[in-house]
Amino acid sequence: MDKKLRRIAAIFASGCLMAMSAAADSVSEKAKKLTHSAIVVDTHDDTTQRLLDPKFDLGVRHSDGSIDIPRMKEGGLDGIFFSIWMSGKVTGPEAVKRATAQIGAVREQVRKHPKDMVLATTAAEVRAAKKQGKIAALMGVEGGHMINSDLGVLRTYASLGVRYMTLTHSMDVEWADSSTGKAAHNGLTDFGKDVVGEMNRLGMIVDISHVSDKTFYDALAVSKAPMFASHSSCRAICDAARNMTDQMIKDLAGKGGVIQINYHVGFLSQEFRDAEKKDPSINEGISKEITTRCPDENDEACQMIEGDKITREFVTAGKLPKVNYMKIIEHLDHAVKLVGADHVGLGSDFDGANMPYGMEDATMIPKITEALLQKGYSESDIRKILGENTLRVMSEVERVSRETKSKK
Amino acid sequence: MRAARLLAVAILTALLLSIPTSVSFGDDIAERARKLHFSSIVLDTHDDTTQRFFSKNFDLAKRNPDGHIDIPRMKEGGMNAIFFSIWIDGRTMGPTAIQKALDQIDAVHENVRKNSRDMMFARTAADVRKAHAEGRIAALIGVEGGHMIGNDFRMVRIFSDLGVRYMTLSHFYNDEWADSSTDKPAHNGLTDYGKEIVREMNRQGMMVDISHVSDKTFYDALEVSKAPLIASHSSCRAICNHPRDMTDDMIKALATKGGVIQINYEKSFIDESYRQASEKVSGGVVAMFDQLKKQCGDDEECLGKKMNEMEKQATAEGKLPHVTWEKIIDHIDHVVKLAGADHVGLGSDFDGATMPEGMDDCTHLPKITEALMRKGYSDDDIRKILGANLLRVMEQAEKVSHEMQAQ
Repeated sequence: MDKKLRRIAAIFASGCLMAMSAAADSVSEKAKKLTHSAIVVDTHDDTTQRLLDPKFDLGVRHSDGSIDIPRMKEGGLDGIFFSIWMSGKVTGPEAVKRATAQIGAVREQVRKHPKDMVLATTAAEVRAAKKQGKIAALMGVEGGHMINSDLGVLRTYASLGVRYMTLTHSMDVEWADSSTGKAAHNGLTDFGKDVVGEMNRLGMIVDISHVSDKTFYDALAVSKAPMFASHSSCRAICDAARNMTDQMIKDLAGKGGVIQINYHVGFLSQEFRDAEKKDPSINEGISKEITTRCPDENDEACQMIEGDKITREFVTAGKLPKVNYMKIIEHLDHAVKLVGADHVGLGSDFDGANMPYGMEDATMIPKITEALLQKGYSESDIRKILGENTLRVMSEVERVSRETKSKK
Repeated sequence: MRAARLLAVAILTALLLSIPTSVSFGDDIAERARKLHFSSIVLDTHDDTTQRFFSKNFDLAKRNPDGHIDIPRMKEGGMNAIFFSIWIDGRTMGPTAIQKALDQIDAVHENVRKNSRDMMFARTAADVRKAHAEGRIAALIGVEGGHMIGNDFRMVRIFSDLGVRYMTLSHFYNDEWADSSTDKPAHNGLTDYGKEIVREMNRQGMMVDISHVSDKTFYDALEVSKAPLIASHSSCRAICNHPRDMTDDMIKALATKGGVIQINYEKSFIDESYRQASEKVSGGVVAMFDQLKKQCGDDEECLGKKMNEMEKQATAEGKLPHVTWEKIIDHIDHVVKLAGADHVGLGSDFDGATMPEGMDDCTHLPKITEALMRKGYSDDDIRKILGANLLRVMEQAEKVSHEMQAQ
């Protein structure tokens, strides 16, 4: 969820109707087949905010947002990590309550669609879901503030099916620094290290998206299992603190981890970031317009959907540059050249960020396959990027969990 | 139900003085009773041992010198299924109540995990039977007080997903949607939201527990619930006139809809003279309790210890009468005569109440079986009382849940 960033940083949009240039826009039969036969897993989707509205039905096709069951099926998206998220300003028991309610909302949505979806907590369950033709629903908690410094709460989330936790969101938590915080702890505190240890024991993936570089290295040193960045892109291409440096990507890969590329335009395109920086009034204008259209400040789903529309209006008005989805491919390719195809995957940030042109929703995923094929990637490497790498990390994390438990 | 002990003052005395463990009658009933007891599923629906999981001085796996429950003593007493109670003071509400309840639920799971050779977590009646067949103790969870859902019925599902198998609609204080038997009526029973919560519990297969609630809340819940109700730890008001106990009419109405009253062993709920005496001295006790609060803060263990010392003293001074364990049998027998053997069971309140002399911990449970046998109860009826009745209600709650979810 980089909504906050969007509100500060704004982006653009405008639409599926116009736009699109590249040749890859027409997807070959080969790419379609490959996408639909592969297990495609997206490690970060903020659709959960929409599920809090009891009227929202994941089972029908929506004209807004990026994710619903019909569009996932059309795009061949087989596994999705629903993000449990709230602002880092919400802390204490209130954060625990809200996170628990969001977890409940995901579980309830799965129960409502037993023919199309199944809750998955292991790599094997994701594979089994694919075999049954069902979408695997998984969960990740985006921000350590939601455990309220309580390992019992962390275990409760694990019991309810959560399979990763991002150590921080965009603010520092009591025990870990964020990349966009104040560096209050010089990385992970001792308790933060205990949190990582307990996650290893529970079989929860340690997610280092959002965290400060020092927190990343601390977690890397402590974690017994490979980690991933559930939704981060490459800093070498776009200089956002939320993105990973080449060295970090190499070190992550060195321990078997995966960087899941975030599609948010503000993380993909330096040109976009520069435009935002140059004229702060753009972001102010976007934020103001969001407030007007979404008077309930707790209605995150409204802010998400309207924010996306408004930023697209700014792009149409020529105030922000247009970023094409091929920028995603650039990041994927950069990471692959750096560390090989075993350590890169997809972490869209759908329904929580501003999508580049040509990647407005889950139906467009086959274009990624097409673009990689055109770049000469092998089918096997493409399968890894689409989902197998994530499943490998999950399996490893499960193995470490079993070993830790049997020791105790 | 720690607060009961605190409010009602009770006495530990027992332990050292009093009552030989087995009474010798010089016949074969003792041996037959033992055999029956140790082959039965003995299920207790209310134990406050959960609070002790947060103490460094307590280890569930070891025999502890204090309290009523641990694995060695459960084995010795033939107690093979236990509902660990999730409890916090009813004045703690909202998100804090939710987090504390989640912490306690986690503590139960952690303790079961650490003792998985002796214990198995159970979510269904079938799980309880499986644990028994494997020679393990079935651990279950009940939430004692609707305040712990933070006035958010979505938490019912979360608790259910985490393995909670009953919820007591209120504790000592009214919550946002249900009146308690020991508070001023605020809602005239169950509110509309409270009724929604009962239906959601039905849908989740979570048993509706009407211990602690006001009479009106009980009748409202009885009307709304599609599954039989339980009173997880309540005794008979006809014998002991405490608002926490059930009237004969309530017991009959509960039974007619297939429910079970699980007898509470707390002295002030089973013995009228004790109840009256404890109410007389309770004024001074409240003041004393406030003082203890200052010494102990929120440390439940410290509070419990100090209270026990006070109770001992009050008994020694003759301010409170002696109550012996046979009183439990009187309550069981009263229900059986009123509603039959299908509608009564055991809800000790171990580790949360003051036990009568001779029922000083769970090792004494076989006495109940023997006493019922001596009263002429059939083996079959005794098995029902020891646990089978509760398993029947659990199965019915599961059936209702499946039916509702299929719709």
